Amino acid sequence: MFDILDAVLERARAKGASAVEVFAERSTSRRIKVYRQEVEQLTAAQRRGLGVRVFAGGAVGHAYTSDLSDGALDAVVQRAVDHAAVSDPDEFVALPEPAGAPADVHPFDERLTLATDERRIELALSVEAAALAADPRVKTVEDTMYADGDGEVFIASSAGVRGSYRANQCYAFAYVLAEEDGQVETGYSYTVGRALEELDPAACGREAAERACRLLGARKCPSMKAPVVLDPFVSAAFFGVLSAALTADAVQKGRSLFAGREGRQVAGEILELVDDGTLPDGLDSAPFDGEGTPCRRTPLISGGVLQGFLYDTYTGRKAGRGSTGNGLRGSYSGLPGVHPTNLVVSGRATPLADIVAGLERGLLVTDAVGVHSGANPISGEFSVGISGVLIEGGKLTTPVHEVTLAGDIISMLTNVRALGDDARWVPGGSILTPSVVIDGMAIGGT
Amino acid sequence: MDVAAFDVGLLQATIARALRRGGDFAEVFVEDRDSLGLRLEDGRVEQTSGGREVGAAVRLLSGEHTYYAYSDALDEAGMTAAADAVAAAVRVGGGSAVVDLGLVRSDPGRHAVIVPPETVAIVRKAQLVRAGDEAARAAGAEVAQVIVGYGDTRQKVLIANSLGDLMYDDRTRTRFTAHVVARRGDVIQTGHETVGGSAGFELLGESTARAVATTAAQKALVMLDSRPAPVGAMPVVMANGFGGTLFHEACGHGLEADAIAKGASIYAGKMGEVVAAPIVSAFDDGALPNGWGSQAFDDEGVPTQKTLVIEDGRLTGYLYDRLRAREAGAAPTGNGRRQSFRHVPIPRMTTTYIAPGNASADDIIAATPRGFYAKSLAGGQVEPASGNFVFGVAEGYLIENGRLTTPLRGATLVGNGIDILMRIDMIAADFDVKTGVCGKDGQGVPVGTGQATLRIAEMTVGGTG
Repeated sequence: MFDILDAVLERARAKGASAVEVFAERSTSRRIKVYRQEVEQLTAAQRRGLGVRVFAGGAVGHAYTSDLSDGALDAVVQRAVDHAAVSDPDEFVALPEPAGAPADVHPFDERLTLATDERRIELALSVEAAALAADPRVKTVEDTMYADGDGEVFIASSAGVRGSYRANQCYAFAYVLAEEDGQVETGYSYTVGRALEELDPAACGREAAERACRLLGARKCPSMKAPVVLDPFVSAAFFGVLSAALTADAVQKGRSLFAGREGRQVAGEILELVDDGTLPDGLDSAPFDGEGTPCRRTPLISGGVLQGFLYDTYTGRKAGRGSTGNGLRGSYSGLPGVHPTNLVVSGRATPLADIVAGLERGLLVTDAVGVHSGANPISGEFSVGISGVLIEGGKLTTPVHEVTLAGDIISMLTNVRALGDDARWVPGGSILTPSVVIDGMAIGGT
Repeated sequence: MDVAAFDVGLLQATIARALRRGGDFAEVFVEDRDSLGLRLEDGRVEQTSGGREVGAAVRLLSGEHTYYAYSDALDEAGMTAAADAVAAAVRVGGGSAVVDLGLVRSDPGRHAVIVPPETVAIVRKAQLVRAGDEAARAAGAEVAQVIVGYGDTRQKVLIANSLGDLMYDDRTRTRFTAHVVARRGDVIQTGHETVGGSAGFELLGESTARAVATTAAQKALVMLDSRPAPVGAMPVVMANGFGGTLFHEACGHGLEADAIAKGASIYAGKMGEVVAAPIVSAFDDGALPNGWGSQAFDDEGVPTQKTLVIEDGRLTGYLYDRLRAREAGAAPTGNGRRQSFRHVPIPRMTTTYIAPGNASADDIIAATPRGFYAKSLAGGQVEPASGNFVFGVAEGYLIENGRLTTPLRGATLVGNGIDILMRIDMIAADFDVKTGVCGKDGQGVPVGTGQATLRIAEMTVGGTG
C-alpha cells in the first residue's frame, strides 16, 4: 500500500503541492445477525480507499477515493488541490510534523484471524439462546448480532510522517423484548474483545434479558428531586455526550460549556476522567491517531478539577501547544477531527449494594432514551426519557418508565457523590465507567 | 467507468455465480457516488472535502436468510469475490439461474435537476455559505457562532436481480444547513434550520441561503429570553414542518415491515384497527417530486409510491422492502433503502407525514387556554416495541390565554405513539416538509418529515422549571 501512498505524494509534488498527507485504509469485516436460532443475515465486506489533504498558503483541501487506479489517483490529488483553493486560510493550519515514536500499543489479536463463519454463527446463536432461556417473560430477541473487523491503516506525508498498523476487534450484542400483562419492556447488552475467546455470549444474552425483565410492571413515578444512580450504560451515554465539550475544537469555537474553566472545580471531588488511547483493552487504542501523532493518556478531570482538553494538530497550534493524539478519522473519506479515544471514568469505588442501601429515596437509572438528542452539549442542558427502578428505604423496589431526567451537565457533574465498584467497558464510544451516583436530580413524572 | 454502461454480461454472470449453490433471489447493486461538502465555522470556510466512492454489493436471499457481500472494487475480481462469499454461505435451495436483463432507466423528469451541481464552480458554493454566515451574524449582536454547511451528492446506481430487473437511477441531492449559537452572559442557546431536495443547484439561491441562516439565528436569539420549561401533562401544539419528526419517530418506525415481522411494533396485527383520532390520515411518499427523501426507484429497483398508512384514524398500510413483502405475501412499497452499497437494504421511510386539515394555526393556539407550543424539535428517539418516545424541543413557548407568551428551554416531550395519535384533536392546513437524515441499524438515509400545525390534547412535558 505504501507504493500507492508514495505515488500520490509524487503526483501532488508534480502539481506544485508541497505539503501533502495521504491516509489509506483496507479492511475486511463480518456481520452476522441471528433470529429465532437461524442466521438472518450474514455480511462479508472488503473495504479500501484513501484520502488526501493538501495544505497550501494556510488553507486545506481534502479529497478521497475508493478507486485506486492511476487515473483515480490523479483525480483525487487534483480535487484536493481545488478544494484547498476555496478554503479560507488560517495561520494555524499546517501539515502535521512527525511527533515521535508511535505508542507501544498492539490492538491486534492473531486469534481473531482464525475465526470461521461457523464459529461466529455459533457464538451469535448462543447469545440469543442465553437470552431466551434467561426468563420465561422474554418474548423475543429482536436483534442478536455478532460483528468483527480487521483493518490496516497507512499514513505518509511530505513532512516525513510515515506509519501503519493493523487493528481488529469483535463484539456481540443482544436487544431483548420482554412482555408481561401486555406491557413490553426492552433491554440490551454487549460483549466486546479482540478474539472470540474474550467474548462472553451467555452473560451478554442473560444480562440483556435481565435488563428488560426487571422493568416489567413499570409505571410512572411522581415528580421529585432525588439522588439517582446511573448504571454504567447510562453513565457512558452521558460521558459520551459531554466529552464533545472537552475537545479543544469546541472550546476554541465557543461551543464548550467547559471553556475558561481549566483549573476550576467542575465535578464532585471524587471524579477522575481520563482519555487514554494506549490502554491494552481499550477498543479505540492505537499507536497513532489519524494525523500520525502518537496516542497517549490525557487527564481531563482530576479530583473534580478540570485539567485540560483534547487537541489535534490544528487546535494544538492555535493554543500554542502540541496535539494530544486526538485527531481521529472515522474512515479514509473523513477529515481528522478532535475526538476522544477511550474515556475512563474512575474514583474511589463503593460497593453498589452499599450505595443502594444508603439511599432513603432515589432512582436507579438503567435506560435513558434521547441522550444524544435530548442533551445539548453546547448549553449543557439536558432532558431525557428514562427507565429504571425506584430505591426506597435502601432497597430497590418498583420499576418506573416514561419519566424524564432533566438538568444541566455542570450541576450534574458537581453533584457526583459516589462511584460504584462495577466499572465496565461500554462500546459505542469506548468508555470505561462504573455506576455514578448524583444528588438532587429533577425527575419528571406524574 | 460509467455505471449506466456497465457490462451486463458481468452482472448476469455475477447473479448466476451467487445462485450456483442455492438461494432463491440474487441481486447486484452497483454504485458510483460523488460528493462535495463545504463547511463554514468561525467565519471561515474551513473544511472543503469531496470525493468519489464506487463499489458493488451482491445479495442472496434463501428463504428468510440474507447473505450480503460487497467490495470497493468494480472490477470482475471484486464482483466474483462477492458472489463467491454469498454462495459459500448458502446451505439450501435451487441451482443457478440464467436471467435476461433488460435495462430500465429512471425518468429524469421525475425529480428534475435543472442545474447539475457539478457544473457549478466550487467558488459559487463557497459564496453561498459565506452569505449564510453574513446573514446569521446580521440577525443580532448576540450571535456568537455560526456554522453553515453546503452539500451535494450525485449517486448513480445500477440494480440487477434474478427476476430480470435491470434498473438505472441517477440521483442528485443538494442541501444547505445553518446552525447558530447565541450567547448572553452564561446563557447559551442554539438554532438550526435546513433546506434540501432531490434537485440541483437551482434549489439554493443566495436569498434562500440567507433566509435559512437568518431563521436559524432567530431561533437561537429568541431562546436567550427563555425560561426553564414547566413539568407536567398539558395540551401541546406542534408547529408545521419540524413537528413531523414526532410522527416519523413515534409512529413511522413502527410501520416499517421489519419491526412488524418481529412483533417489535405496537402496530403489528393492528391492520384496519383504529390507531389514531378520526381526523388523522397519514402517508409515506417516496415519489414526492424533488423531495429530499424521494427517488424514482428504491434501492432494490422497486418504483417509489405514495402509500396511505393511516386513513381517518385506521391503520391501512405498512412500509415494505422486497424481503418483508415476500414474507408477508404483500407487494413491495418502494421502501427498500440502503445508505450505500455497504449496507443491506431494509424497510425505511421516505417522506412521511400527517395530512393537513382545515383549521388555521392561529385558531388552534387561540383555542388553547394553557399549553405548550413546540415550534421546532431537536430530534428524538423511540422504542418501536413499546411506542414510547422522547423528543427534545429546540424552540418552545408557553401558551397562555390562547396566545404564545414566554419562550421555554430544556423541554422534552415524552409519550407513546398510539396515545399521542389518538389525542390529536385539531389539524391546520399549513402543511410543510423538513429534511433530515434518519438513522436505523447504523444506516443513515435522507428523509422528509412533515405535517401541518396540530394539537395533542394532552402530553407529558419534561422540563427543569
